[in-house]
Amino acid sequence: MKRKILAVLLATAVTASLAGCGSSATTGDTASTEAAATETAEAGTEAAAATGGDNSLTVWCWDPAFNMYAMEQAAEVYKQENPDFNLNVVETPWADIQTKLTTAATSGDLSTLPDIMLMQDNAFQKNVISYPDAFTDITGSGVDFTKFAEAKTAYSVVDGKNYGVPFDNGAVIACYRTDILEQAGYTIDDFTDITWSDYLEKGKDVLAKTGKPLLSCQAGESDVIMMMLQSAGASLFDAEGNPTLVDNAALKEVMATYQSLVEAGVLVEVNDWDQYVGTLNSETVAGTINGCWIMASIQTAADQSGKWAITDMPKLDNVDGATNYSNNGGSSWAVTSNCKNTDLAYDFLSKTFAGSTALYETILPSSGALATYLPAAESDVYSQPSEFFGGDTVFAKITEFAGKTPSNNTGVYYYEARDAVAVAITNIISGADIDTEIQTAQDTVNFAMGK
Amino acid sequence: MSKPKKMNLNQKQNLSGWFFLAPAAIMIALMSFLPMLKALILSFKTGIGTNMTWTGITNYVRMFQDAVFMQSLKNTFLYLIIQVPIMLILALILASMLNDKHLRCKGLFRTMIFLPCATSLVSYAIIFRSLFAVDGFVNTILIKLGLLNTGYNFLAHPNSARIIIIIALVWRWTGYNMVFYLSGLQNIEYSVYEAAKIDGASPFKIFTKITVPLLKPTILLTAIMSTNGTLQLFDESVNLTAGGPANSTITMSHYIYNMSFKYVPNFGYAAAMSYLILILVAVLAFVQMKVGDKRD
Repeated sequence: MKRKILAVLLATAVTASLAGCGSSATTGDTASTEAAATETAEAGTEAAAATGGDNSLTVWCWDPAFNMYAMEQAAEVYKQENPDFNLNVVETPWADIQTKLTTAATSGDLSTLPDIMLMQDNAFQKNVISYPDAFTDITGSGVDFTKFAEAKTAYSVVDGKNYGVPFDNGAVIACYRTDILEQAGYTIDDFTDITWSDYLEKGKDVLAKTGKPLLSCQAGESDVIMMMLQSAGASLFDAEGNPTLVDNAALKEVMATYQSLVEAGVLVEVNDWDQYVGTLNSETVAGTINGCWIMASIQTAADQSGKWAITDMPKLDNVDGATNYSNNGGSSWAVTSNCKNTDLAYDFLSKTFAGSTALYETILPSSGALATYLPAAESDVYSQPSEFFGGDTVFAKITEFAGKTPSNNTGVYYYEARDAVAVAITNIISGADIDTEIQTAQDTVNFAMGK
Repeated sequence: MSKPKKMNLNQKQNLSGWFFLAPAAIMIALMSFLPMLKALILSFKTGIGTNMTWTGITNYVRMFQDAVFMQSLKNTFLYLIIQVPIMLILALILASMLNDKHLRCKGLFRTMIFLPCATSLVSYAIIFRSLFAVDGFVNTILIKLGLLNTGYNFLAHPNSARIIIIIALVWRWTGYNMVFYLSGLQNIEYSVYEAAKIDGASPFKIFTKITVPLLKPTILLTAIMSTNGTLQLFDESVNLTAGGPANSTITMSHYIYNMSFKYVPNFGYAAAMSYLILILVAVLAFVQMKVGDKRD
């Protein structure tokens, strides 16, 4: 009998210690998350520790120099009216936000989500349609959506309901190293308002004279292709969300242009994002074309100050409606359904990102967070020159580009289509037929959509 | 009420045995078998995100029409057929070399070969990626030696990208398998080798006639484990090549991940593909046991 009791005791002890392990590990995690949150929370942490409770919001976003900084400044703005307000900004890379959201929504336990999360515009519709329970309809929240560019707001509208407050803009800029262009006998004006065939000719010349390609991009990603496509107002989907890859004159032209750029060596493909930024900072290439947020990465090479200049991107040669303007990336703030104090979240967003010109004036010069909030564009800050980019009034320029950008349809199956196009272009570069590859890509997208 | 029958000693021992087993068994059932069962149920449903409906076996039919999944299946089997034999033979050779009693610094060599196993999967994949970058270490060496004029983008060409994944896998896992062989070799009497040597057997003969047959159970174990591991390959595909170029290195697990987290999520389809991997592993393990485990 004694032995039996001992066995029971031992078993209980084992179970208890196991359970103990589990719970202590969890507390450890929470503690470290909180620690991280406090670290990243903005300057007024000493006040933050004391408050908490009803007057605090947790936010997930990913870039310390960019959107996290903007969120922290927004908290400062809001604190002027509500001194008790406390904001926890938790640094969460986009891929992690997507994974955490998926995990929380599919497990049905939404309590792990923050109050507000930043969402890539390209993934907004997909996530709201896939996980309708995880998001809050903010149509009637008091945020004035008419103050934002309509094309931008459209990313976060599902079934006529608003789910997001627009944040940054991804207007495409072409950046060039003026010192390298000069060696080849060119100025920035030779690359303004040009077509891709001009770009190719001049690019070959620059390559021959300086040994530096004009452009680099990530192999297996279709950013450059999507930018070229949108610059002509073309999309991979029609307004109803059906794929339109086949018989898409613009897409075919884009593929052919991309192929000839790679063949000539004017466009060099690298394998990952770090190598891409590396080509910019280590002078491997003489320029780049990307969303205006790339300026933050370019400016990390402080020794290159004054050597860069910004202009518009080349346009497609033989496509109707081709322009020199496009868009790449951009994000919006979403309120999750885990937000207990929705009034506070609504009030915070409508008084900062959707109501404070002063906020955008603060964040613009240091982070390059170009507003989609229309009243902010009239601010004086936008006409200030940037020393890094040769004393040019870059923000006024980019705002102008943004206003001329044609819109495009992302559809729900945007990531599938992007990957299919990336596969097609890789095969085309290694010699496959353009029409066949585009047909295959369309079949892949149709298959993913269950057609 | 009659007094309950007293248990005999055997029953008592059985009961306490079950008692000790229970906590672990319950946990495994809850943490491992229950999710597996739920995934099986899920694999018969379809839909976007959390809006799932019953669909029967269409997910299982669908995967055989899915060009990308078929490509990933081919890639995975290519890794399996080329990489596993190379790795196991290499591990066997290394193990029998390091088992030599007269070898000096045995511990040092063993540690060096085992060390890759202690590195994290993600970090070693990233290191390989930068090693084989256009301006990476390998290209720099090849250019310095005069073998290449400009850097070759290894990861941008299907065949070289696959070869690099295989090299990376061999580097990472050979030491791991070697340790199993080394421990298997400890069970072989050294006198057997001495006798063979006295009889004038060459090192190659000793290897094929003594080491390999006596290590058969261990070889079987490592073959099954490697097959299982290769079919579930994920980190290398994601971090080293990102599945590219043009899906030529994507593995099944990587595609399942994309289906769940990158694309419009269809968890039913993803679960069905996971079950195909399970079936493949089970079938291959069964075949290997039948072929390899002939106890005479």
